Amino acid sequence: MREARRRRIAYLLLVPGVLFLTVFFLIPMFTMLSTSFMEGTPEQGFDFTAHWQNYVDSFADYDTQIYRSLIYGLIVTVVTLALSFPLAYWIAFRGGRRKNLYLLLLLLPFFTPFVIRTLAWKQILADNGIFLGTLKDWGLIGDDFQLLATPIAVLGGLIYNFLPFMALPLYVALERLDPRLLDAASDLYSDRRQTFFKVTLPLAMPGIFAGSLLTFIPAVGDFINSELLGSVRTTMIGQVIQRHFLTTLDFPAGAALSFLLMAGILVGVFLYARALGTEELTG
Amino acid sequence: MTQSRYPGRLTGGSVNRISRREMLRRMGIGVGGLSMASLLGACSIPPQIVRETEANAGLITNESNGTLNFANWPLYIDRAKGENPTINDFTDETGIQVNYDEVIQDNESFLGTIREPLANGDPIDYDLIVVTDWMLAKMARFGFLEELDFSHIPNFEEHAGEVYKDPNYDPNNTHSIPWQAGITGIAYNAALTGRELTGMGDLFDPEFAGKIGMFKEMRDTMSLMMLYNGVELDNATIEDAEEVQEQLIQQVDDGIVRQYYGNEYADALARQDIVASIAWSGDVIQLTLDNPDLKFIVPEDGGILWVDNMSIPQNAVNPIDAHEFMNFVYQPDIAAQIVGWVNYICPVPEAKEILADTEGYEAIADSPLVFPTPEMESNLHRYTVLDDEEEAAWNELFGAVIQG
Repeated sequence: MREARRRRIAYLLLVPGVLFLTVFFLIPMFTMLSTSFMEGTPEQGFDFTAHWQNYVDSFADYDTQIYRSLIYGLIVTVVTLALSFPLAYWIAFRGGRRKNLYLLLLLLPFFTPFVIRTLAWKQILADNGIFLGTLKDWGLIGDDFQLLATPIAVLGGLIYNFLPFMALPLYVALERLDPRLLDAASDLYSDRRQTFFKVTLPLAMPGIFAGSLLTFIPAVGDFINSELLGSVRTTMIGQVIQRHFLTTLDFPAGAALSFLLMAGILVGVFLYARALGTEELTG
Repeated sequence: MTQSRYPGRLTGGSVNRISRREMLRRMGIGVGGLSMASLLGACSIPPQIVRETEANAGLITNESNGTLNFANWPLYIDRAKGENPTINDFTDETGIQVNYDEVIQDNESFLGTIREPLANGDPIDYDLIVVTDWMLAKMARFGFLEELDFSHIPNFEEHAGEVYKDPNYDPNNTHSIPWQAGITGIAYNAALTGRELTGMGDLFDPEFAGKIGMFKEMRDTMSLMMLYNGVELDNATIEDAEEVQEQLIQQVDDGIVRQYYGNEYADALARQDIVASIAWSGDVIQLTLDNPDLKFIVPEDGGILWVDNMSIPQNAVNPIDAHEFMNFVYQPDIAAQIVGWVNYICPVPEAKEILADTEGYEAIADSPLVFPTPEMESNLHRYTVLDDEEEAAWNELFGAVIQG
């Protein structure tokens, strides 16, 4: 009797979440999937005709941008991991009583909206702005040197914007690590390198995995950084999809591209999970 | 889908898992009984064309209701002390209360917000809207706009400049009269180019490699390029668009273009990230005040005169009030009051004299960017009026340029 009641309450607690996901995730996904098989024009309307050629055509048109986005996402994930690991490690093990302060400092810039922060980079990196202008005055770089409208600026913006998404999960994983395990390792004659690779790294794996997903997936779909900091030659697939939906109103091609992107990301994540091994990821 | 592919996992697991699936089925989410394809096919996106009879039924009233709901772009009407003098004057004179709403950020997304009700033949929240000429042509084609009754707008015939009558995007001004206009041309920093620029050819000069801005707005860039190629815009064909595409891709490949910009081109010019760019006249007035080195030219092969227009959405609730407002702003002193603040191109030439006689506004009266000279006007052209198919084809060609 009590068991049944408890179970009922558990289901009741699930209802808001399930309803939310149904209304804001499942139904839109389904509509998008349906749209991706439609044919027509904005003027005549779009009808479902199982027009799978949308996928073939839009992939043929925009494969460069899809690959470019996946590669950018990969670079961003690797670099943010390389930057975040020492950072998270230091805060978790050397932060002492000021841990929370350091975490706050890490997050502080992110109290400003995404777009504003990226626009600020546009000012900072301007050809004759405070950064490059000064270097040019000192004669350290040529007068024609520029960062804006190059892949470097786009990748830099992405790395900057997604750093906390990598650093925080890493911190959580490292923070949970029991320091006595490290002591035990050294008691058993493990050197620092061995300790790191045999104890710290494996125990940080769930954090690395979570951080990578939180970075890679939104970075691949991002369209703000390339739009503001990049050029024609850094166009990412998110910009292409946005233009399909908002400018050219070619909904089916935009929807098909979204699903192609999703497929690309799923394959990437699947390979990654396979490589790391699911056992370690669940801790 | 994964549910059916891994039945073992679901049935072989704990009691909870079976119950969860049971619950999902009761909630009607399990789609096992229905085939995916039939569900997918149940959706469609309705066309935007309204049935003729509904669209042409005429105004719903011939009387003023004393209210006007006006949707406009931000910063596009005179402002003083947090109020809009023109709106206040209109209310004082006619007794019509105006709900002035600066909701329009760009043409496409505004259409997105009003498309559904208009396609269903329902009135929207606004009696008067302002959209750019090509969007106006599209909305008229969709049957989204009322025909104007010029017996309520005598000032238009009397005071509007000749260029603004019977335009190619709206023959006989059936659905619209201009609000403000502007020129698409070229802006450049004379201190950095070291010479005068004259036309689109200068934007291909390798000397300025990496320092040239182009426009993400398809119609502006394509039209200026076609004029450069000597194409009559009214007779432009898909082959002309293909030729432009080749030139633009070459320009990107040669490293001459820094970026295809939206509104941000003005900042890029001000920051000196670019030395020259396609530009809109209204922005440049502000820029040249800050930096006299910045110049604006109408390219020698022709520039674009674009027009933002007032029009009445079909089945608007207060159509007569909207007509009265249109008539009101075509009085030269009111037109002068508006353009003296917004600095775009005024469709009422008489406003020039009024501003010239008003202290503090002489510079605006003299500016060819607000009152173009006859020579400039003779070198200004209109966008090609595109139907849906042509627009899609041009967009595709242009998309390949800006999203290489």
